[in-house]
Amino acid sequence: MALSKKEVTQMTKEFKIVWLPIVFILLGLTQPIMMYYMPVILQSMGGVEGIMIDPTMAKPNGSEVLASTLNSQFDQLGIIILAVATMGIIQGEKANGMMAFILTRPVSISSYLNSKIIVHYILAVFCIALGYGMSYGYTSYLFTTVPVMQGLLALALYCVWLLFVITFVAMMSTFFNSSAFIALVSIVVLFICRFIAGLHPFLDVVNPASNSLHATIVLMSGDMKAWYGIHIAVTMLLVIWMIATMHHFIAKKKF
Amino acid sequence: MLKVENLQKSYGSQDVLKSVELKVEKGEIVGFVGGNGAGKTTTLNCITGLVEQDNGKVTINNVPKSQSLDYKKQFYFIPDTIHVFSNITAYDWIHFVLKLYEKKDESKLKSLITSFGMEASIDKPLGTYSYGMLHKMALITAFTICPPILIMDEPLNGLDPLAVVAFKNCMKDYVENGGTILFSTHLLDVAEKICQSIAFLKDGKIVLHERLENLLVDGSLETIFLEKQANDS
Repeated sequence: MALSKKEVTQMTKEFKIVWLPIVFILLGLTQPIMMYYMPVILQSMGGVEGIMIDPTMAKPNGSEVLASTLNSQFDQLGIIILAVATMGIIQGEKANGMMAFILTRPVSISSYLNSKIIVHYILAVFCIALGYGMSYGYTSYLFTTVPVMQGLLALALYCVWLLFVITFVAMMSTFFNSSAFIALVSIVVLFICRFIAGLHPFLDVVNPASNSLHATIVLMSGDMKAWYGIHIAVTMLLVIWMIATMHHFIAKKKF
Repeated sequence: MLKVENLQKSYGSQDVLKSVELKVEKGEIVGFVGGNGAGKTTTLNCITGLVEQDNGKVTINNVPKSQSLDYKKQFYFIPDTIHVFSNITAYDWIHFVLKLYEKKDESKLKSLITSFGMEASIDKPLGTYSYGMLHKMALITAFTICPPILIMDEPLNGLDPLAVVAFKNCMKDYVENGGTILFSTHLLDVAEKICQSIAFLKDGKIVLHERLENLLVDGSLETIFLEKQANDS
């Protein structure tokens, strides 16, 4: 508990609990507004000369807009921002000696890692939920309303992917000492996971990004397949494996 | 109390600790002395778990180092360089550390803050603290926690005369109440005044561990130190 409080205090002092939600609110707002006002924006940016806008093109429905918020905003810019915001969670304390200080006190490595991952995950879920909520509101206002249960189910599935994202960045932060390298490796690996999601059903079972894909499918179709549960379980196992690896790495003083 | 057996540690091809054997009894103040690079800090780091030894056994109150959490409850370690979060106040920092040890003794804390002359600066961010002030804060925390054994690496560095007096008084009270202290130092005159026994480390081995009254028969600690350094080199 003391460690979790310390994490929250650090986040407050670094204003992370202020700027991160603001960024995700803006990300959430961007998609519905951009999609709604795109023709107007194109007109005001110098006309539509050379750009063909199909007048018969149907206006996207709310589910499509909300799904593209997850796909285009959160899974691209959102992941970059989260990786940058999380890259120093363990590396920073390795560099300034705080990890050594804390681990020579009556604190287990598991408590240390769990406090970091849980607090950062809660913040990430809070930010995503806030941005998603904003996107939901504007989507309902500008397009069509997405059933609440469908929206919540998609958010829950997305949060499973988010847990993997935070744990993976924390693991990179444990292994490496350069912030830039941690961010780079994390972003590249997470992007690869996201891009290959949906390519092959067997690959999807072990790919945690398939949870993000399922979130968009649930939004678009409302269908929650029974085998999504297997993907969630595999992602959880991966998370546990990553925490165990970090634990082993720190216990062996490999940092 | 503290028992170190056959402690060995190498960094690459350099054997820093060859076979350290050390016993510290309950209620004892042991000064850990030796030249630069003798292996004092490495020994303390191995005892406290900051560094993993290559070989050897360490126990405190019969709790082996391998029983990590129970073992870590047995001591409080003050390293030479104090690492803190620069943007929180000393008061908040002390409370954070006290929570890690599940200790709370506000009246004792306040009295120690006064003894070390820290009343005016305790609410200031740690980023504004000097080396000596950080050491004072670490000592206040340590004596508030009152662990079974206090392990310190050069605790007197950077302390002003008022803090040195406060430190000596706190040590006295702490040991009278059953505490045990192991600390490294280069200040032999201070060690001579406050220690009950001296462990002399040279080239990764304890070459002398004796009670102070027996040692001082042959002269001052400084003379013995110089002789030991010269004889064995």
